[in-house]
Amino acid sequence: MEEIISLRNIEYSYYGKIPALKNINLSVKKGEMFSIIGLNGSGKSTLLHIINALIFPDSGNVMFDGNIITEKSLRDKNSGMQFRQRMSYIFQNLDIQLFCPTVFDELLFGPLQLNIPLVEAKERAEQTLSYLSIGYLKERPVYMLSGGEKKRVAIASVLTMNPEVLLVDEPLSSLDPKTQTFFIELLLELNDAGKTIIFTTHQLDLIEHLQPRVAVLSDDHTIRKTGSVSEILEDKELLISVNLIHEHIHKHGNEEHKHYHSHYVFHKH
Amino acid sequence: MENKIPSYLLKTANSQYEFAEVRRRSRLSFLDKTILNSANVIKSIYIQAENASKRNIVQRINPHVKFISLIYMAIIVSIVSDLTSQITLTALIFAFYILARLNVFQVYRKIFILTFVFGFLVVLPASLNVITPGKVIFSLIIFDRPYHFWVYNIPQNIGFTQNGFQVVTLLFLRVLNSVSFALLIVFTTPFPSFIKSFKIIGVPDTFLMIISLAYKYIFILSRTIEDTYFALKSRLSGNIKNSNIRKLISGRIFFIFKRSVITYENTYYAMVSRGYQGKIRLHSQSHFTISDFIALVIIVVSGIVIVLI
Repeated sequence: MEEIISLRNIEYSYYGKIPALKNINLSVKKGEMFSIIGLNGSGKSTLLHIINALIFPDSGNVMFDGNIITEKSLRDKNSGMQFRQRMSYIFQNLDIQLFCPTVFDELLFGPLQLNIPLVEAKERAEQTLSYLSIGYLKERPVYMLSGGEKKRVAIASVLTMNPEVLLVDEPLSSLDPKTQTFFIELLLELNDAGKTIIFTTHQLDLIEHLQPRVAVLSDDHTIRKTGSVSEILEDKELLISVNLIHEHIHKHGNEEHKHYHSHYVFHKH
Repeated sequence: MENKIPSYLLKTANSQYEFAEVRRRSRLSFLDKTILNSANVIKSIYIQAENASKRNIVQRINPHVKFISLIYMAIIVSIVSDLTSQITLTALIFAFYILARLNVFQVYRKIFILTFVFGFLVVLPASLNVITPGKVIFSLIIFDRPYHFWVYNIPQNIGFTQNGFQVVTLLFLRVLNSVSFALLIVFTTPFPSFIKSFKIIGVPDTFLMIISLAYKYIFILSRTIEDTYFALKSRLSGNIKNSNIRKLISGRIFFIFKRSVITYENTYYAMVSRGYQGKIRLHSQSHFTISDFIALVIIVVSGIVIVLI
């Protein structure tokens, strides 16, 4: 598979003082499902911001489809527009993601900024509303949606741009089980349709479900390992060292178990 | 399993303390008022949205038509100086409220409070013969003789004049009609659609987006205040010094401001991520139907008739 995103020696710090990312090297291929896992504060969201060229690294290169992405290169209107059309980002905080007056406006916002004709934009919006079964929300103000509805509208708002790459920050955060299932199936379906999907999570069961290639970010803001789901989840030392698993107690009836928190390898049931 | 729970957690609630007799309520009254106002904001936004989403005859009218009507009616209200015409207009607006199936009693209560203060109390002194000369129909004070002071002439009999009453009544009706028609439009039009109808007078999309965002953040902020209050309330009990409450509140206000800045930055990122390059393009709902034209004709003709009465 052809490489679509490549990060070389990325360093990023907040205010030039607080390190957020250190020596990050990553490569994502077209049509791949890729996950960045790590604890809160390890730099996952910052990394997505950098991939989406919302912020720029202190040093190192971000390549998208063979081109180096810089602040200067995106200032060119055509390059900027093309980049935004090809890569979309779903933020974790949905109140930030949804900023338009109504749901229908949300779906039209991206296409209209990209100068897609209104008729086509509306057609896309209608089809997406129907695809995600949210037609009934069309004229609803976005601040009057429930958490699950917001999530559906958020993904709809980027799908109308028909991106090749979808960045999703913590896909399942604050969702009820039903909406979680819906979202997992949707991501799989979109990936099957050829979309490259990069998501962040600290939930190991999510990567078990989606089987992406995984990069593990550690507390010290470096990538400790990249590999398949089984390669990562079977590496007990790695997961303990980055605090993604820990000993915990749970019950089966009246019987108590104490084991590391990963059902994948340590406690198959 | 080894139990590491602190011993006090193992005590039952009853065994811990005897509650002292309650002598006075905890001092949360100003907090209560704040939350009440905050909750009212949320409630009114919900009510507005609910009313506007009804599919009654007035709600179905295109927001552009409503916006034009609002401007047109504002002009009619200000040029009509005849009491009969203003009363006819009041009746017409009331009929629209009935058609819109709004809670007339509740809405008109608000309208009358506003109108009573700004359209009656404030201008009432203008009906005195000291300001508006004319035949006194209701005396307030009667002096022995008239007084002359510098450029002022104080008559012997101070009271309300017929002309004064007419002026005050006209002003009252003007305020009443303006407020009631404006609220009719607000209550029957979804806020986003109403804002977008500003486009017809050339308001730029970026400005409309800012208004929409501001409206949304009023809602989010009100909810944050409400949640913060509940969090405080759940942990405060007994007598708390006002100074301590002020410290808590100021700390929370700082937190809300800080959150607002972060939200603002991230919203900007979210916009950039979806193609924003400094100029916003919004679509407008310019789908006119025959009933919209009929509504516009009714409004225009009613206005003309009222002027000609």
